[in-house]
Amino acid sequence: MSTSHFVPAQWLPKSKWKTAGLLVPSLLLCSAVSAGPRRQEQHFKVAAHPVITIHNPNGLITVKAWTKSEVMIISTPASDRIEVDAEQMGNRVDVSTRELSDSVAPDDMRADFQINVPEDAELQIHNDAGNVSVANVLGDMNVETVAAGVDLEDAAGYLSVKTVGGSFTCVRCAGRIEASSISGNFRLLNLRSYHVWAQTSSGNILFNGEFLPNGTYSLKNYSGVIEVRFSPGDSFDLSATSLKGKVNNEAKLTPSTHQRHFMPRWGNALFGTFNEGRAKIEMTSFDGTINILKRD
Amino acid sequence: MATITCREFRSYLAPWMEGERSEDAQAHVRACPNCSSVIRDLEAIHTEARSWSASEQDAPERVWTALRTQLEQEGLIRDTIPASVDRAQAAAPRTGWFAGLFPRLPRPVLAGAYLAALVAVAFALSGPVNRRVNEARWLKGTQISTSPLSAQLNFAEQNSSSYVTRSNSVVSASLHQNLAIVDNYIALCEKSVSEEPQNEVARDYLYEAYQQKADLLTQMTERGENVQ
Repeated sequence: MSTSHFVPAQWLPKSKWKTAGLLVPSLLLCSAVSAGPRRQEQHFKVAAHPVITIHNPNGLITVKAWTKSEVMIISTPASDRIEVDAEQMGNRVDVSTRELSDSVAPDDMRADFQINVPEDAELQIHNDAGNVSVANVLGDMNVETVAAGVDLEDAAGYLSVKTVGGSFTCVRCAGRIEASSISGNFRLLNLRSYHVWAQTSSGNILFNGEFLPNGTYSLKNYSGVIEVRFSPGDSFDLSATSLKGKVNNEAKLTPSTHQRHFMPRWGNALFGTFNEGRAKIEMTSFDGTINILKRD
Repeated sequence: MATITCREFRSYLAPWMEGERSEDAQAHVRACPNCSSVIRDLEAIHTEARSWSASEQDAPERVWTALRTQLEQEGLIRDTIPASVDRAQAAAPRTGWFAGLFPRLPRPVLAGAYLAALVAVAFALSGPVNRRVNEARWLKGTQISTSPLSAQLNFAEQNSSSYVTRSNSVVSASLHQNLAIVDNYIALCEKSVSEEPQNEVARDYLYEAYQQKADLLTQMTERGENVQ
């Protein structure tokens, strides 16, 4: 309480008045803030490979890995008319946001989360709006949103991301990546993934990562730009088709040695092999532009 | 007068569907038209689900039969329906199925699932069947197979839109914005297919756009249910 910090005036030397003048309003402000959203911190002991599910209609969800065998959930509901439920069932922790009365406006159904999990945790996150950010989690991941963006860093395992309009950024990810959206942009940077499947309708797709031997990389959109960056040492078999758009290529391709490509009857297409053709890249667009560019 | 609120009644839903109906819950259902409506919908879903489980794979078979009948009528495939199958019955699901499905859109998840299945089967059927015919038939076949899809998707859209208006404004805006994007793609793909009927790539994009629209409508109606 701010009253507990009250200091009688005669106890203060004049030089302290300025400090007190700043301190008291700050404390009053803090007490006012603490009467607003109720920050809640919960801890759950878990075993190896725990599963964490999060269902939240709107808000910022930040998940980070740590070395403890414990899940820590810090939640901040935006209103006192909603609450966050977190319960443990065996090695699974379920987190959900729910309204406390029937009269809660949809726009008030918002809660922010800071969550720490063991690095081998499996995540299932459903967040319609806001943002989802996950870092250093190596377990499988399934993220579904409508408008919320999804940012993954240093993730591994089987990563499945589905948005309607939210963007998706994956930095230094490994394992298997599958992402789909209608209008979200995808940025796949510094990947070390052997399987990438990315499909967005009106969004752009940027792939700037390694093409691992025997890896498969399928990038598809309707409009927008699909861009891949390659290094001189990369090795891939490439197929790029844009039905009504352009294909721009900076790679010196040789006729494919691994498989026979039939010349398409429609659109602009490019087939060929770069170096030994160890990875397989397929890019398809309806009326978008496909760029195959040298990495800077 | 009801002794529990609508919110409290939600915890009674599962037991209710299992046959456990407390006096409080019964009193609330009698007094509350909204919850009463929810119960009616759930019971309808329950009944429908039981009829499905009674005949395994029934829904996909209906979809198959409807599309097969349609393609047969256009001469795109030969009559493969066994004589033991009543032809009138075989033709009936196309109208009966659609007509029976969409007036009951308070069960939007079922509608979405049906739409998705319909698009998927239409997509699967279109390739091997249409490759054997000439361009005019390609065009006609594609139009005929996609017209009902388009019409029913539009119908479902009209119904689902009324639900989603109560969801989060950002989410609602995003859903509608993306629905407009998909509709635009459908129009462009349809134009492309009509210009180049044998263009498999355009046709694949068209069916994928239908699939996206079905998925999107399912999401919209699911959210509509949640906020009721």
